[in-house]
Amino acid sequence: MMMKNAPSRVEIHNEWDIVRARQSGRDYAKELGFGNVDQARIATAISELARNIYLYAKPGVITIEVIDDQGKKGLAITAKDDGPGINDLRQAMEDGYTTSGGLGAGLPGVKRLMDEFDILSEAGKGTKITARKYLR
Amino acid sequence: MNLNILQGKAKDGGELLILKGELDAYTAPKLKETLLELVDIEGASVTLDLSDTNYMDSTGIGVIIAAYKKVCKNNGTLIVQGLTPRVERLFDITGLSDIITIEDINKEETR
Amino acid sequence: MIDQEQMYERYKRLLAEYMEGKNEETLYNGQLFSRHMIECGVSPEDVLSVHIEIMREFFPNMDERLESSFDFLLEAMIGYGLAYREHQNLRFKQRQLETEIDIAANVQQSLLVSAVPEIDSLDIGVISKPAKKMSGDYYHFVRDEQNFLSIAIADVIGKGIPAAMCMSMIKYAMDSEPEQRTKPSAVLENLNRVVEQNVDPSMFITMFYGLYNEKEHRLYYASAGHEPGFFYSSQKDRFEELTAKGRVLGLDRSTKYREYEKLIMPGDMIVLLSDGVTECRTKKGFIERGEVVDLIRKRMDRSAQEIVDSVYKELERLQEFQLRDDFTLIILKRRV
Ligand SMILES: Nc1ncnc2c1ncn2[C@@H]1O[C@H](COP(=O)(O)OP(=O)(O)OP(=O)(O)O)[C@@H](O)[C@H]1O
Ligand SMILES: [Mg+2]
Repeated sequence: MMMKNAPSRVEIHNEWDIVRARQSGRDYAKELGFGNVDQARIATAISELARNIYLYAKPGVITIEVIDDQGKKGLAITAKDDGPGINDLRQAMEDGYTTSGGLGAGLPGVKRLMDEFDILSEAGKGTKITARKYLR
Repeated sequence: MNLNILQGKAKDGGELLILKGELDAYTAPKLKETLLELVDIEGASVTLDLSDTNYMDSTGIGVIIAAYKKVCKNNGTLIVQGLTPRVERLFDITGLSDIITIEDINKEETR
Repeated sequence: MIDQEQMYERYKRLLAEYMEGKNEETLYNGQLFSRHMIECGVSPEDVLSVHIEIMREFFPNMDERLESSFDFLLEAMIGYGLAYREHQNLRFKQRQLETEIDIAANVQQSLLVSAVPEIDSLDIGVISKPAKKMSGDYYHFVRDEQNFLSIAIADVIGKGIPAAMCMSMIKYAMDSEPEQRTKPSAVLENLNRVVEQNVDPSMFITMFYGLYNEKEHRLYYASAGHEPGFFYSSQKDRFEELTAKGRVLGLDRSTKYREYEKLIMPGDMIVLLSDGVTECRTKKGFIERGEVVDLIRKRMDRSAQEIVDSVYKELERLQEFQLRDDFTLIILKRRV
């Protein structure tokens, strides 16, 4: 099997694209050697990020790439869009704030599913979210 | 603990709100929203029918006071009718009965 | 933290044991084990994944469709895992908030607790209990050099934190009254202006304010829409309502308050209360004011503090230990 070194880029325009992004993330995760649970976690995180783009900021792009941080291997997911941006990041990251409040999903959920999480957003300009998960 | 608010027209042509149930800290916000919107027009005329309000506490009085203050600003009228003895006593103690028009139960027919 | 390996082995042992014998004891051990896993913060999807791995080990030739059904279940459990973690975090936050409120409640208590003065001619008893953690009831006693005792009892509409914050404002307004011994009507008129200016239109405060002249044994008082107290005349051996009319604070800027006066004879009693006392809701419905009087009468020969404590206990019991509203009861008894 050929190692997927090149990043995968999935543009998000419709719900179908969310599925494609998930699939691509899962393939990468599997190949890198993530276990079943982590594969499912990564797919769910991608789903949440892609769905946010689809709901609030389409079109946008989900990028999935393999990272190697001094021998620490893992997967980085980037969600980038030029949408309206998120005004109050602290609020958006708060548990129980999301519209689905109480389901634990949404951005705080993504943060929990992954090992690292970073978000940059500017009102009117767009949002860039990066999340990483490392192989144990 | 529940409050039903029925909206209709009063005999004098103004708005009529019939409150059925209990007006307390939990249900008062619901009344506040409806009532304050109704009185927020110049010359608003609103009648509150309390004959089926079987419980009211100070939070309920608070909403009526807020509405009264708005009505005064807007040169409107606020009428309260059908006070049960318990509620009437509350109106007396708080001094609301001297400043708000209270009418006896001549229950309107809401149609 | 739980050791991954250890968890795997223990789960596997329990599962194998159960598949062999299907006995209740193993299930009980499984229950204890799951408690342990929860304590260690193991997510549902982790448990499931261990289960799946073990099944693969036990049944290497498992039907492929059965195997993929596990993957599907795993995917579905990820969401539950997230909800579970959020729940844990919210619980933690709730505990934090509660601690914060406890601290605020202590601050409020130290602000509001007013020492009961020792006076030769008066026996004074007070009890004030919040329905929730913070109280919207307020009382104070201030005694000046000329032997005048001022007594205030107030009730902010609503309960809990908003009422308590408003209460603190009243306390500072009272503390900054120009002189201690002012006419009750003037005190209320001042406060009325403060409240009218500073408070949300649907917020209001009721207050009873009294000034007791210890030499002449006269009580001068005025009320801003406060739940009327009682006066007990020992000569007539009768309780009557301590009527005083006046609008609640914050209703109308220009309100004037009428002042009343009462001569207090030895053995007479003044009962002041907040509506949390009279709005007691029991199984049989609301308590009548007459019942409160009866409770007091039954205990009349005791000290003022004993009376209020015991009346509170009785009313607390009647409400099945759930106060619906802040509760304040004050009794002043002229010593014989
Ligand atoms: N890419 C984005 N562009 C602009 N706003 C966004 C974006 N992603 C999230 N938001 C804003 O942040 C809020 C929180 O997002 P989050 O995904 O946590 O919850 P949600 O989408 O409201 O609900 P759910 O739990 O169903 O995902 C959203 O309601 C939305 O207003
Ligand atoms: Mg979302």
